[in-house]
Amino acid sequence: MYADRICKGEAEMNKKSLATVIVGKFKSIQSVIFATVAFLVLSAVVIVTGVSMRFTQNSIFENSSQYTHTIIKQMNQNIDSYIDYMENIAYLISSSEDVQDYLFDDEIDNEARYRILNQFETILDSRSDIRNVGIISKNGRMLINDGKKSVNSDLNLNTQEWYTQALDSPEGPMLTSSHVQHIISGERPWVITLSRGIRDRGGSGEKEGVFFIDLNYSAISGLCDQSTVGTKGYAFILDARGNIVYHPQQQQLYNELQTENINLIMDTDDDTVLTGTGKDGKLYSISRSDKTGWTVVDCTSVRELLSKSRQAQSIYVLTAVILVIVSLLFSRFMARSITLPIQKLRDSMKKVQEGDFSVSDVVVDSDNEIGSLTKSFDVMTHRIQELMEQNVHEQEQKRKSELKALQSQINPHFLYNTLDSIIWMAEGKKNEEVVLMTASLARLLRQSISNEDEVVPIANEVEYARGYLTIQKMRYKDKLEFQIDVDPSILYIPLIKLVLQPIIENAIYHGLKYKESKGLLIVKGFMKDGNAVLQVIDDGVGMDEETLAHIYDRHKVNYHSNGVGVYNVQKRLKLYYGDDYGITYESRPGEGTTATITIPGRQEAV
Amino acid sequence: MKKHKKWLSICLIVCLIGGLGGVAWHRHRVIEERELSLIYIPKVVDGTNDFWKSLILGARMAAKEYNAEIGILAPSEENDVERQNELLKEAIEKEPDAILFSPSSFTESNDLLKEAKEKGIRISFIDSYTEEQIQDLTVATDNLEAGEKLGKFAATLLGPEDQIAIVAHVKGVSTAVEREEGFRKGLGKLADNIVEVVYCDSQYEKSRQLTVELMEKYPNLKMIAGMNEYSSVGAARAVKAAGAKDRIQVVGVDSSQEAVQLMENGVFKGLVVQKAFKMGYMGVKETVLMLRGKSYEKDVNSGCELVTPENMYSSEIEKLLFPFNTLKLS
Repeated sequence: MYADRICKGEAEMNKKSLATVIVGKFKSIQSVIFATVAFLVLSAVVIVTGVSMRFTQNSIFENSSQYTHTIIKQMNQNIDSYIDYMENIAYLISSSEDVQDYLFDDEIDNEARYRILNQFETILDSRSDIRNVGIISKNGRMLINDGKKSVNSDLNLNTQEWYTQALDSPEGPMLTSSHVQHIISGERPWVITLSRGIRDRGGSGEKEGVFFIDLNYSAISGLCDQSTVGTKGYAFILDARGNIVYHPQQQQLYNELQTENINLIMDTDDDTVLTGTGKDGKLYSISRSDKTGWTVVDCTSVRELLSKSRQAQSIYVLTAVILVIVSLLFSRFMARSITLPIQKLRDSMKKVQEGDFSVSDVVVDSDNEIGSLTKSFDVMTHRIQELMEQNVHEQEQKRKSELKALQSQINPHFLYNTLDSIIWMAEGKKNEEVVLMTASLARLLRQSISNEDEVVPIANEVEYARGYLTIQKMRYKDKLEFQIDVDPSILYIPLIKLVLQPIIENAIYHGLKYKESKGLLIVKGFMKDGNAVLQVIDDGVGMDEETLAHIYDRHKVNYHSNGVGVYNVQKRLKLYYGDDYGITYESRPGEGTTATITIPGRQEAV
Repeated sequence: MKKHKKWLSICLIVCLIGGLGGVAWHRHRVIEERELSLIYIPKVVDGTNDFWKSLILGARMAAKEYNAEIGILAPSEENDVERQNELLKEAIEKEPDAILFSPSSFTESNDLLKEAKEKGIRISFIDSYTEEQIQDLTVATDNLEAGEKLGKFAATLLGPEDQIAIVAHVKGVSTAVEREEGFRKGLGKLADNIVEVVYCDSQYEKSRQLTVELMEKYPNLKMIAGMNEYSSVGAARAVKAAGAKDRIQVVGVDSSQEAVQLMENGVFKGLVVQKAFKMGYMGVKETVLMLRGKSYEKDVNSGCELVTPENMYSSEIEKLLFPFNTLKLS
């Protein structure tokens, strides 16, 4: 990746577009992170495992060949000392006086014969690995084992290598590797023969006789097998000319049913050679002995070595698999832990977008980029929320002050008219009526000025309406009669100010005023379906449908009232209590009008 | 959720494939590693007859090497067809994986062999065969070749007019017929000098007797050729006893301690020796390979070698004549 970055700009561009394409395939950051981490971990594990497996194979091969080499070296030494021991016996016997006497004296020395046989017997008894031991002279005298076995008279000794070589070679013992010993009739065993020429010291001084020991394979096979115990490999021995001295499958080899690459072993100077290909190959470890000229070879099949390394490799693979699983789980966890706050942030942003600021703050514990982003987001939403609240508050204040302005004025016409009425009443010396009217006016004025609250109990509104109606009744003596019938249970339910009076005013000026006869106005208050209902019922001229339809229009401001029209009342009720509440009108021309004000019945008392 | 299911199913499939592979592999291993049971019925077990001794040794060694158990059921006399069939019946009752068989008769064992086949026992022929091609595989010496080798060598010892007599073992037996045919072929023109063919029924004594009669009948006889161990050695004994080893050349087939001794003594001028050990070994090896479902050879020629007094001590011939018994060592 980093190397690529350094590449030329064009490549970078391509890479980038490719990267975006790849990243674009995933729907979430989580899967991008997961896929990336998974890919990296997987490839890292695969590479490391591959390299270590390769390495393991090599090191197992090396260790194994080093180990076997030590073993076969040891084995070669054991064989050397074994042969050494036999040579000592050969030297001891061939140089003894008794042998000289028996073989080369003109007359047969029976005492010497007896002593030699004794010696032979001791040797044969003590060593089970010696098949035959004997002395032969050119003149035909011979003594073998216990001297009782019949000698193969048909055998021409000059055809036997162990005999001729012992006579021909200058000095020292000869080793004849695996051959058949024909000298005793009826017995033709495979043996290894150690032979030594015997000089006729009393006569010619030349080699006139041969001493020989035939070794069976029990000792050598023991040496070979013991050193390969526990492994599937085996060891075999070649002589200096490449003939087999000992092989665990000698008979199979002799019958061409088994092969060893002997030429390769004889030609190489290395300690270890590999023959064959692949799994069927064999690994030869070679050790040569200077003393015997023999080569000890350990043969291990590549298959077995591979199976050893496979064992190690399967452990690697297992570890790798566990590692991959753990890292996949971990990367999933990590991806989640990174993207979860982002998702939270996204969700709460969506809510904010929809205008819902109620979502509690997004909580992120970390201090990383996403943490600070979230914190900023939180601060931002808080700020927006504050601003919005402030806005609402300001609007409300504005409305309140508007209302206050409205409330603080009592319609001047009404005031003049009332004052005029008081004057006339005073001129007519109607003291009591003057007092009543003035008191009502005073109460009205006090109420409209004094109370700063936006919301008052229904009782206040009703009292205000009563004062207003009292004054109006006095003014329109013969024209207006009123009743107030409000259920005491709703008296303390809060109601926004200046609702009832404008409706009553509207009823008087539009309904009752035009009526020929005396009009009746009833104010009713009761609970209905959990709502508080106030009704203003008049039996005035009523309204046709068109008038009714336009009753909430803004321009329909009542000049007679203090400017608070039905529109204004309706708007305030809806704003304050919601769309389910407000004023409804029912009217029939000539029969009267009913205005119904509905507000929630359950409110906290003011 | 859907994605998870997909992953899950992929995992399951992978596990399933792995599991099935493991089971198949295991089953394969079981077939490969089970110890097979084999029964070998030679023509004879006879302490003096190196041919059968070597053959059985080879069979045993191969059985050990290839993880098979081998039982040997053998008549004590060659050419005892009845006894051999009894043993064959006995072997069939034991229901081994395969029976290795060296038929003494060209025809008499067919029914029993068919019965064995029906029981699902595989049949391998070693050394000889029967009239019907019932066997799954055959390991034998190419007896034509063996006879021809002997004939060619014999021709070098003879003058154009020298008389030849043949002592064969059993009339009609495949080995006898083919060796004689090969011998005649090897002699070439000299084949016309064959004066008589006699059959000793694989008995030393009868062979000796017949040879003595032949020597009387044909005073100018220059060569006697034996066609198996019994006939060759019987003939050689007669010639040696008559002190006629310089006058009458004896050649033969198969070897034994006695045959080797007789060659050292100068009676035998040449012996064609079958690779008995190899024959027994290959017989078991190929049978095991067949049973384990591996590739095997249906017809194996185990080969033979000519042994003369000149080469008898050479390493190559010693290896052939004298078995190196590593079974005893281990």
